[in-house]
Amino acid sequence: MESLTGWWDDFFWGSVVVVEVFIVALVLMVCFGLLGSAAKLSNSKILHSIANGYTVIFRGTPEILILLLFYFGSAVTLTAIAQLFDPSIKFIDIPPFWAGSIAISLIVGSYATETFRGAFLGVDTGQIEAARALGISNFKTFVYIRIPAMWRLALPPFGNHMLSLIKDTALISVIGLQETMFVAEQATGTTGKPFVMYLTVGAIYLTFSTFITLSVMGFEKYGSKHLEVS
Amino acid sequence: MSFDFSLILSSVPQLLEGISLTFQLWFLSGILGLLLAIVLMLMRISGKWFLYAPAMVYIYVFRGTPILVQIFIIYYGLPQIEFIRESIFWEILREPFGCGILALSLNTGAYVSEILRGGVLGVAKGLGEAGAALGLSKVQRFIYITTPLAIRLSIPAYSNDVISLMKSTALVSTITLLDMMGIARIIVAETYAPYEIFISLMIIYLIITWVTQRTFALFERRMSRHITVSTL
Repeated sequence: MESLTGWWDDFFWGSVVVVEVFIVALVLMVCFGLLGSAAKLSNSKILHSIANGYTVIFRGTPEILILLLFYFGSAVTLTAIAQLFDPSIKFIDIPPFWAGSIAISLIVGSYATETFRGAFLGVDTGQIEAARALGISNFKTFVYIRIPAMWRLALPPFGNHMLSLIKDTALISVIGLQETMFVAEQATGTTGKPFVMYLTVGAIYLTFSTFITLSVMGFEKYGSKHLEVS
Repeated sequence: MSFDFSLILSSVPQLLEGISLTFQLWFLSGILGLLLAIVLMLMRISGKWFLYAPAMVYIYVFRGTPILVQIFIIYYGLPQIEFIRESIFWEILREPFGCGILALSLNTGAYVSEILRGGVLGVAKGLGEAGAALGLSKVQRFIYITTPLAIRLSIPAYSNDVISLMKSTALVSTITLLDMMGIARIIVAETYAPYEIFISLMIIYLIITWVTQRTFALFERRMSRHITVSTL
């Protein structure tokens, strides 16, 4: 433990970066998941095949490959564009924070696409028919009937997606984001104690995972309280 | 910036030189992980607290931390401990290949044990009771009734995990191993052509994923041939 002295604040700020990436990627992941599932549910053949391509590619290739393609690909493109205006520019990149957040949210979003689609189709059609019979508009049916039923169905797999997302943040250290893995690498360089340092990173991630798991359990309990027998 | 097709043609054979390492990591850790998963699953369903509590802690820790952290703890961390350097395992842990296999097996074991447990718990209770009524012992019921049905129930989730294990093998490129991903990173560092190289590699991985999915789908169909309705 004493070898961690002096590194606590670095690990703390590294954890803050993990949380920041997680929140940004979570918002983007929900957007990509909703767009993907809307495209898969639509009648348009083009949208349907685009969404299918998206899920096949992002679920079938290693996460680290997508991350590196995003980071180095965007850097090459940006540098090429910048050199058109100013040939003296050598290298421009998207900050690792954004390249990483977008990459991991696209990856997990491809899994969320299937979750949201399944939840949409899982809502009892009788309820939708009942709403129509009562003359409730399509929009109101969606907001007041479909969404409350949908999020309960989507919650357990959605919890798993959040766990994947928090664990994927560790990968972004590979492209140089200064999060906990990066701190551990630096601390190892100074103290020569890699076991303690990486174990600390593991403990930090375990804390985050536990927090997510407990929150999802809380939400599930809240979501099913109308089903409880008093 | 342009898309250089001749570079793709020259680099794909180089990438494929790493495919045997990818397959070695995948199959070896897949088999070791499956064995570990079976042990963990039996511990989980044993009903004895001193067996299921350690298994639950193990599964919780390995599913709750990123696999990259697990790889780094094993590759960079373990050599820090003296008795590991003096133990017989040092021969394995000294090499990045051994560390990769160990990390991937330990990780996939935790995930697969939960899948197998789901399969075992999914077998209808009545079948076991029928077996008991026919005088089969507990072990016989587990081997002849529960296991074949649990295998069939586990296949869809297990095939997903086999694919995610294949994807995880790419992470060993971070501990100096030259699998397909490691080779791709070197070529990109030399040629600075990320699109050509990484997209070619994506296609190779997609083909492996597709073949794996098809194989498991065929296996599942074979396992459930007695319940599918014949179309004749």
